[in-house]
Amino acid sequence: MNAATESMRRLELLNADAHGHLRMRSSSAACPHFVQIVVNEFGAAAASCPILFTKEAATGQFYAGALFGFKPGESFLPETLERGGFNPLNLQRDGFFISGEDIAIDLDSPRFSDTEGEPLFDPARQPSASLRQIQRVLGQLQAGTDMTQAFIRELTGLKLIEPIDVQLNFTGGERITLEGLYTVSLDRIRELDDTSAVRLLRSGYLHLAYTMNVSLKQLPIFAHLRNQAFRRTAAKT
Amino acid sequence: MVRPVRKVVIVGGGTAGWLTAGVIAAKHRARMSAGFSVTLVESPTTPIIGVGEGTWPTLRSTLSRIGVSETEFIRQCDVAFKQGARFARWTTGAADDWYYHPLMLPQSFSQVNLVPHWLTGHSDRSFCDTVCPQGRICDDDLAPKTIATAEFEAIANYAYHLDAGKFATFLQRHCCEKLGVRHVLADVRRANLRADGDIGSLDTEQAGEIEGDLFVDASGFKSLLIGETLGVPFKECGDVLFCDTALAVQMPYESDAAPIASNTISTAQSAGWIWDIGLPTRRGIGYVYSRRHISDDDAERELRSYLGPAGEDRPLRKIAMRCGHRETFWKRNCVAVGLSAGFLEPLEASAIVLIEMSAKLIAEQMPTCREVMDIIAARFNETTRYRWGRIIDFLKLHYVLTKRDDSAFWRDNRLPETIPERLQELLLLWRHQAPWFHDEFDRIEEVFPAASYQYVLYGMGFRTEVEPESLAGDARHAERAIRENAVQTERLRVGLPRHRDLIRKIHEYGLSPV
Repeated sequence: MNAATESMRRLELLNADAHGHLRMRSSSAACPHFVQIVVNEFGAAAASCPILFTKEAATGQFYAGALFGFKPGESFLPETLERGGFNPLNLQRDGFFISGEDIAIDLDSPRFSDTEGEPLFDPARQPSASLRQIQRVLGQLQAGTDMTQAFIRELTGLKLIEPIDVQLNFTGGERITLEGLYTVSLDRIRELDDTSAVRLLRSGYLHLAYTMNVSLKQLPIFAHLRNQAFRRTAAKT
Repeated sequence: MVRPVRKVVIVGGGTAGWLTAGVIAAKHRARMSAGFSVTLVESPTTPIIGVGEGTWPTLRSTLSRIGVSETEFIRQCDVAFKQGARFARWTTGAADDWYYHPLMLPQSFSQVNLVPHWLTGHSDRSFCDTVCPQGRICDDDLAPKTIATAEFEAIANYAYHLDAGKFATFLQRHCCEKLGVRHVLADVRRANLRADGDIGSLDTEQAGEIEGDLFVDASGFKSLLIGETLGVPFKECGDVLFCDTALAVQMPYESDAAPIASNTISTAQSAGWIWDIGLPTRRGIGYVYSRRHISDDDAERELRSYLGPAGEDRPLRKIAMRCGHRETFWKRNCVAVGLSAGFLEPLEASAIVLIEMSAKLIAEQMPTCREVMDIIAARFNETTRYRWGRIIDFLKLHYVLTKRDDSAFWRDNRLPETIPERLQELLLLWRHQAPWFHDEFDRIEEVFPAASYQYVLYGMGFRTEVEPESLAGDARHAERAIRENAVQTERLRVGLPRHRDLIRKIHEYGLSPV
């Protein structure tokens, strides 16, 4: 999904000569209903929303994501504060991309402006504090992506990933079925042989797996929020 | 004293032998610690005959059941997807004469029979396109699933085209490494009979004597045990199905990017038909013909003309076919699977599906002791004889519906004395009511369901009398199903990837098991 949309952008490698004049606004991206996250974010994410796997459409490979709504355009926790301060790296880096060893920017992104926001470079053509923060985010994202892939490889190898059917019936009769989502099977974890179980524990993957499982408890909370919103709207009309 | 059945010995290392070994071993894996064993004896010298490269969707569940990874299967056996067959020039012989026999059932098949509704209100479009999206998917060379679809799961029902030689090797490795099958490379000199007439053991050239309780004859046309040893007669069916020879050839693609057909293409000729099967790396093509109706030289000319200039110098392989089957498939403690049981022209890719069905039946009904084996053998024979009969009927159906008059081959095929009685009766019945869900084909595991008969009958211009008033009851239901089909067709044509692109992605990324 990401790969396909990214190729549509107008990307340029960031350098002080060409982009010395450029400024960045704070991220304007609306919080989507599903955001790709990496394992180093699991702890913070699980405290506010469900973490699930889904498949990249172009490759069929699994990736992890934080669920903020039940359908596109819907988000129960639009503000970072409502998410207990959790702000996914993928939202923080809005407009910035990793290209090999370099940073690329999407010149069509509303994040960039010639007049508004913080400058990307200081007068000495060194990265500004804001840009340095983005560099840190991209660094974390890159390292986290590798770790997440290793985590998923191990789960796949042990056949621990299973599809999860989420069917929700809402006040007012609306029914939503979430499709294409996967989680870690606790049953299969219990059936693991000792060697695999210890390896999973020592690598920290067992903890991540349980974190994902616990985060599913957020689903009924979201459903409740959605029903409340529905009742409020219904009461007004 | 009961004689337990613990040692299963399979003779033959082709598709039939290894599939049967895999299905039995997977089902009885847990018993192996208690003395149950599966041994496959393969001749190191006899070459394997690849029996066709087309399969049925059943192979998905068979492979899944024996624990194979679909990704590895696709990568290692040169596999492409098959979503049915396109029959060209079978009805009139004209250039624009073709129809599909797809693998998806007609819309709402279990609730409403769309045939009469199509006949009375929609016959300006083909039956297939009216009731099922798969013909259009095949027209566009699209795959039946995406890279995000799990292994063995489908968006559009599918089977495979595969390289049979590679498939046998692939199954062998899986059976020996994962399922505990013993592999013995040895030529069987003879089978030794016990005093009671059962087979007791095999004398082999390289591995001495091999004892067994149940023997599976998968020795190919040789029929070493069921034919040579036990003398079960072969029942020919050349009086119904005339083709007795095949000329086979392999054709490279024009380029690595050339589309891979998502279906078998079967094109009628003057005295038979040509199969055209697209694998990722090559096309397998062959002319199946009746030597009573055409000479080998003329058959080669027709095949070369189909291949075009690119096929001028391609070497051909001639294969003699003896169509028919054993009168009995399971005799005493020996059961025949694959070519030793019988052979039919590969018009509907029935060879491998019959192997699967037989293997499943043997594995599920595996007699625990010799004393009950004859009861199970009788059941097996009854079911298997029924299946061969239905396949022969279904293959013949393709020939009797033709309107071609351009050669003796097609005219002879319509002579009543060449049409099995049961099929004649059904054809009479179908003039007045269309085949459907539960009125004729009621066996739990039919080789060809009623839907298959619908696609062939109405693809070939057969007409059933319909009393329009009788349709009122489910007319709205039928209209809705036909509308839904149009919507689904467009959705799938937009959403499914090109066949070659999906194969490439499976080689690069693999399909996920879930």
